[in-house]
Amino acid sequence: MQTVIETKTKRNTMSSAQPDDPDHAAALLALVATERSRHAFSELFRYFAPRLKAYATRQFGNEQTAMDLVQETMTNVWNKAHLFKPDRGSASTWIFTIARNIRFDFLRKNKHRQHDLSADELWPVLAEQNDSLDDDYALDDDLLMQQLAVYCEELPKAQRTVIELIYVAGKSQQEVADALGIPLGTVKSRTRLALQKLRELIQSDD
Amino acid sequence: MIKFHPSEEHLFHYVTGDLTPAMLMMVGTHVDMCSQCQRNVQHIEETMAQKLFGQRQLPEEFAAANDSFDGDEMLAQILAQPQQQPRDLSQQFASELVLEGKRFQLPGTLARNHHRIGQWHKLLGQMWRAPVQVGGKDVLTFIYMAENTRVPEHTHKGNEATLVVNGVFNDETSDYRDGDFVFLDGSVKHTPETRHEDCLTLSALDAPMHFTSGVSRLLNPFSSLFFK
Ligand SMILES: [Zn+2]
Repeated sequence: MQTVIETKTKRNTMSSAQPDDPDHAAALLALVATERSRHAFSELFRYFAPRLKAYATRQFGNEQTAMDLVQETMTNVWNKAHLFKPDRGSASTWIFTIARNIRFDFLRKNKHRQHDLSADELWPVLAEQNDSLDDDYALDDDLLMQQLAVYCEELPKAQRTVIELIYVAGKSQQEVADALGIPLGTVKSRTRLALQKLRELIQSDD
Repeated sequence: MIKFHPSEEHLFHYVTGDLTPAMLMMVGTHVDMCSQCQRNVQHIEETMAQKLFGQRQLPEEFAAANDSFDGDEMLAQILAQPQQQPRDLSQQFASELVLEGKRFQLPGTLARNHHRIGQWHKLLGQMWRAPVQVGGKDVLTFIYMAENTRVPEHTHKGNEATLVVNGVFNDETSDYRDGDFVFLDGSVKHTPETRHEDCLTLSALDAPMHFTSGVSRLLNPFSSLFFK
């Protein structure tokens, strides 16, 4: 009996689902991304646009700028839904970060200053290839990773050991220093020298 | 292990974009390097989104703000636009910094702003500096110290934030390593130095430095080097 009621309640919430339900909003974005569903987008628009408008009006105190922010944000949602990554956060969080970026650029646009930072240089929310940069900071570039094994053979033994522990065994530089009983600075300089050597080897092979 | 992090307030204002450009770069770079602060940033973003979009019913003041909002017209306009082809934005960022024959991998925030990094200039002894042009009134600079280098004791009129990008430096109170973020107000005197390792840091200063120890007071023009 209990189960029946629960199932029924669940189904009821499903059918009346609104975009404030994270799963529903994510599903709508997926429809926009894969099928360019106008229906799904309209539903997102009717939920998010008025709330964005209220936020933007409070931020700018100017009707026209607020409208511009809403339009630009929702246009990005329409065109860039494929960049939404459900495993990284909710749909509403993604839309918030788009609006935050647009607000940031709007605030600077009026000042016409040289050298000013742009939002996408700080928060690459809408960069087509968002993943690579943040991830390869720790592990250098992919090319290097793939060819590493081959070229490693040509490194001096001490450098090779450090490189293998870091890039193959995935240890931090500190862990390598501890494991080998050598100063962290030595690990770092060996890593630097080894990477430099590897780069030369790879480039001379191209 | 990163020991020193930006404050909750710094992280919050990083998320909303309401710090100076130099501080946005500093906090952003720390976040690139720190999984703990990445989680906090994510949490703050979720909280902000919840605040903005979480209410099912639009409250009165929202409704008032939306009196003249013709949603249908805007919706129709957006849908009527021709579809934008996803541009290939696989830009190649130079994610490396080369100095004195050494190579440093730059975290994402710095790599995306690589074009803002100016010329390196040698300062006293084994110290180098390069400005990072980000606009705003405070000054963002890379400072590189070779092994066994000491900065003359100094205080700041304003605030100084320092982030270790690579290496170690010490001052009177602690040692600071990759990712550590230190925020000092104007009252603190300190003497940063490196020992047997070199150190690349990023610093944001919102007022010129004052050198306080004997000899370096004579070198006060030195401070102008930081603010060229
Ligand atoms: Zn942190």
